[in-house]
Amino acid sequence: MKVKIELFGAARDFSDQSLLELDLGQKTTIKDIRNKIIQYVDQKFYGNENYIKIINSSAFCSEKNNIVSDNYKITNNEKIGIIPPIGGG
Amino acid sequence: MLHTDIVDSKVKKLSLIDAEKFIASNDFGASLIFSGTVRSQNNNKSVLGITYDSHDTLVIKSFEEIYNEAEQKLNIKNKSVFIEHAKGYLNLGEISIIIAVACIHRDEAYVLSRYIIEEIKKRSPIWKKEHYTNNQSDWLKGNPIVNEKN
Repeated sequence: MKVKIELFGAARDFSDQSLLELDLGQKTTIKDIRNKIIQYVDQKFYGNENYIKIINSSAFCSEKNNIVSDNYKITNNEKIGIIPPIGGG
Repeated sequence: MLHTDIVDSKVKKLSLIDAEKFIASNDFGASLIFSGTVRSQNNNKSVLGITYDSHDTLVIKSFEEIYNEAEQKLNIKNKSVFIEHAKGYLNLGEISIIIAVACIHRDEAYVLSRYIIEEIKKRSPIWKKEHYTNNQSDWLKGNPIVNEKN
C-alpha cells in the first residue's frame, strides 16, 4: 500500500518535496515505516549517519494528529507525519 | 480564556500589543508578557536569522493541553493566556514567541508563564533552522518529543 510521509524540521532535508511517498506491504506499522525511511535515506544519501540518527529519534504522527507508537497500524493512503527532535521557543 | 496561533512571518509579525490587549482585565492583578527573540550568537556561531518550522495542528493542540493542565497541575483556575509562535524566516531581534499571562496574584503569573514555556520546549513540534554569516545553515538538534499522554 501507499503511505505518504509528511516531512518536518530536519527531516525536510530528506527530499525537495514536503512529502515522501513509500510503497509498503499490508499490515504496515510505524516500525516498518521507520525502517523504510532509513532504507530510503541509506540509498539516497549514502548511509548519512546524521539522517539515520534523526529518523531513529523521531516520533510519528497519525492523520488524526495523534503521536502514535511503533505498533500503530497504518491504514491505506494514510498520511503520517515524521516528528524529528523538537526545539521551539 | 485562551488565545493561540501560529503566525506566518510572511503574513504578520507577532505583536506584544495584541498580547497585552488580550490579557487586559480588571479581574486580574498580575500580568506577565514573555517574548523570545532571535539572537546573534549560538554555539559560537554568528547567526543571521532563523527559519521556524511547525506542525501547526499539533502545536495548537499542545498549547491547549498545556493551558488545561495548569488548572489540574498548578491549581491556577482563573487566568487569561495568550500564546503565539512564529513560523517562517525571522531576522535578528524579531519575536519568535509570545506568552502573555494574567492571573489574580503574581505568584501564579510567574509560575504559569514559566510552566508554559518549559512545556512548549518539551512538547510542541516546532523546529529551528539557523542561518549563519558564513552562508551555512543548520537545523538545531532539539530533543525527542515528550508525549504527555504516553
